[in-house]
Order: sequence, then C-alpha cells, then structure tokens
Amino acid sequence: MFKKIFLFNGIGPSYEKLLAKLTPELMDKYTFYYETACIKLGLSKDIEKNHGYDSKIAQWLVPFICDRVIYEHCISKGITPDIGIGYSSGIVSASACFKAIPHEAAWDIVKSHRSMLIALDEAHEELDTGIIVGFSYDDLSELLSKEFSTDDLVIGSCNSTFHSMISGKASAVEKAIELCNNEGALKAFRLNTGTAFHHSIMKKYSLEYIAYCNDLKYNDPEYPMMSVFDLTVLSTAEQVARENHLNVYTQMRWDLAIKELEKLGATEFFDLSANGSLSKFSRVGRKCKMYTFDDICS
Amino acid sequence: MREITNEIKAEIKDMIFDYYAEECEVDKASINDNTSLQDDLESDSLMLVELIEMTADKFDMDIKLQSIGKYMLKTPMNTMNDVIDMFCKVYQFGNDIVEQ
Repeated sequence: MFKKIFLFNGIGPSYEKLLAKLTPELMDKYTFYYETACIKLGLSKDIEKNHGYDSKIAQWLVPFICDRVIYEHCISKGITPDIGIGYSSGIVSASACFKAIPHEAAWDIVKSHRSMLIALDEAHEELDTGIIVGFSYDDLSELLSKEFSTDDLVIGSCNSTFHSMISGKASAVEKAIELCNNEGALKAFRLNTGTAFHHSIMKKYSLEYIAYCNDLKYNDPEYPMMSVFDLTVLSTAEQVARENHLNVYTQMRWDLAIKELEKLGATEFFDLSANGSLSKFSRVGRKCKMYTFDDICS
Repeated sequence: MREITNEIKAEIKDMIFDYYAEECEVDKASINDNTSLQDDLESDSLMLVELIEMTADKFDMDIKLQSIGKYMLKTPMNTMNDVIDMFCKVYQFGNDIVEQ
C-alpha cells in the first residue's frame, strides 16, 4: 500500500515565485546548495549575472534545489513518503532525493540541457509549449487531431481531467491556442519556452542529456517511484534509469499516474513545489488530502 | 430553465465569497461585488474550475467546462459580480448558458 505520495516539481514556475515562498531557515539551506551547484557548474550564484544559455540553466536549477530543501524539511519533520512521482524534470529531483543518483548528477543533468538549447538555436527550430485549461484529454486529442499532425503538435502532458500541456512547433502551438480559445477553453496560453519538452522532436536535440543518462550509475531508489510514462512502480536502478531516459522527449500522463496511485491506496499527497503548482491542477475532484508547502510548514 | 430564488442566489454568492476568501487568503469581509478577480485577488482559471466543480456537486449538475468557456468568450469575468452572475446562470441554464 502506498499511502503517502511525494510530488516533485518540474521546470516551469518562475524562480522568483518559488524563492519567495521559502522560510528564512530553508532559504539559508537553499543558498548553500545553490551556491555549491553554481561553483560546480561554473555559473554565477547571482542568477541575473548569468547571460545567454547560462541564464536559463541558472534559472532551471532553482526548482531542483527548492525541491531538495523542501524534501529534506519533510524528512526532518518525520514526514516520509511511501512512493514518489516526478513531473517532467521532477523525475530527476525525485531520483536524487531518493538517492538513485547523487544530487551533483542532477545538477549535471540540468547543465546538459545547455547543449539542447544551443542545438535548437543552430537548427533555427522554433518550438514552444502551451497550457490548455477546460478540455479533457479525449476532447483535446480529438480537436487537435483534426488540425495537426503529431509531428507538429502533441499533448506533452495531460495533467488532469481539465488541464493539459501541449508541445511542438511554435506556429502549431500558437494556432492550437487560438483554436482552443474559440472552442471554449477556460484559459489557453503559450509558455514561450523555446523548447518542446515531451515531444519526440526533442530527442535529436537531447543527445548530451541522453549520453549523460547512459553513462550515469543509478542505484535502487530509497523509496519507489511511479512512472509518468507507463504507470508502473519503479523500484530498481534500471527502472529509474529508464524513467530518466524517457524524460524530455516522451509524452507524460500525469493524470493517469495520479489516478493509478489512488488505486494503489494513496490517501495523502505532499506537493513539494514551493508554490503548490502541482497540487493546483492535481487536487480538483479528489477526495485524498493534498498538502502544499504552506501546509507542511504550518 | 430552472427557477432561481433569492435564497439560492444568496447561497451561490456566499459559496463564491467563501471560496475566494480561503483560496486567496483574504478576509471575506474585504470582498464585495466590485472586487477585481485579477487586481485584488490574483485569481486564476484553476480556481474557476474548482468553483465549477463545487457548484456541480452542490446542485447535482453536469456542467461541461467548454460551455462555461464559450460563455466567457462573450462575457469576460472581471469582477466578483460577473462571477456571481455567471454561476446564477449556470444554475438556471446548465450547459445552455452558452446561448444566454
């Protein structure tokens, strides 16, 4: 039985919003980890002083460190998970927090995305992601399949019964946003990421990431993880390695993974994202308790 | 079309004010009909989804989010009064709200 579930955040929320939520005590810890990571990766510890690709890497590093700090805070308060699940790059955070990989390796993984950004620029590939609120997975799939090929646009992640992330060519994302707005989306907007995370097109731009994952030595995780790709429980080093390999260029089903966890006995979810971004779209219509960082701290 | 009484209207308004007060961590007494969803409460679309789900549960209705979305295309939600008005129409017309 998996009763207590830890949810790990992916790259997404603005780093300012995450940092604003940390308590002074946790901020001290965060600063120590962040500065250590920056020294290792050759980045300035002042995010604004990083330029170009380094600027993005410095920002992307923030949710990883925030998740770690909040995770360690939970453990110190005696809140331990029965299983964990990572949203997108949250898979890397979960792998590190559960000791399947060292935290230093998680930082290197973030750094490996630098070559992805360079490759995208060199290929003049204009990609993007977007958020659609108000459509079920089936309704959105049907709507998009009439207008777009999967080469151009996919549902990168279905997050809940009403919330999805779309991913693909920037022009297709833009057109899909307009289409969804006209068809009754409660909200639809572009994320302007410049990448198409969870679209297969990202595989060819993620060679350094894939090579790094291949070379990395994984351990069995301290706690099992739920796969957002095939909805299986991951408890061995090989399974966690596969989950990390698939990340970046494979479609996720966060909605079904959460549902699967409920079938396996979940009663309490702990959203480790500092700003509660995961629980916002995961909690609607659920009977289970979903604790945010604010709840954990109070 | 379902009849709506003053009592139901008051119940809907109360539910909406309670929800936003708790979710946006503001004193309920500070919310009024002219309170701006964006400027005063920094509300988002996910809050609206939760309110729709609560309304569906409370009044035993089957509400399609796209019906609300299409209604909002014609009638944007800016103030608390807009929200109350929309949820009263949801109660009355259900998914036919889009034709109102």
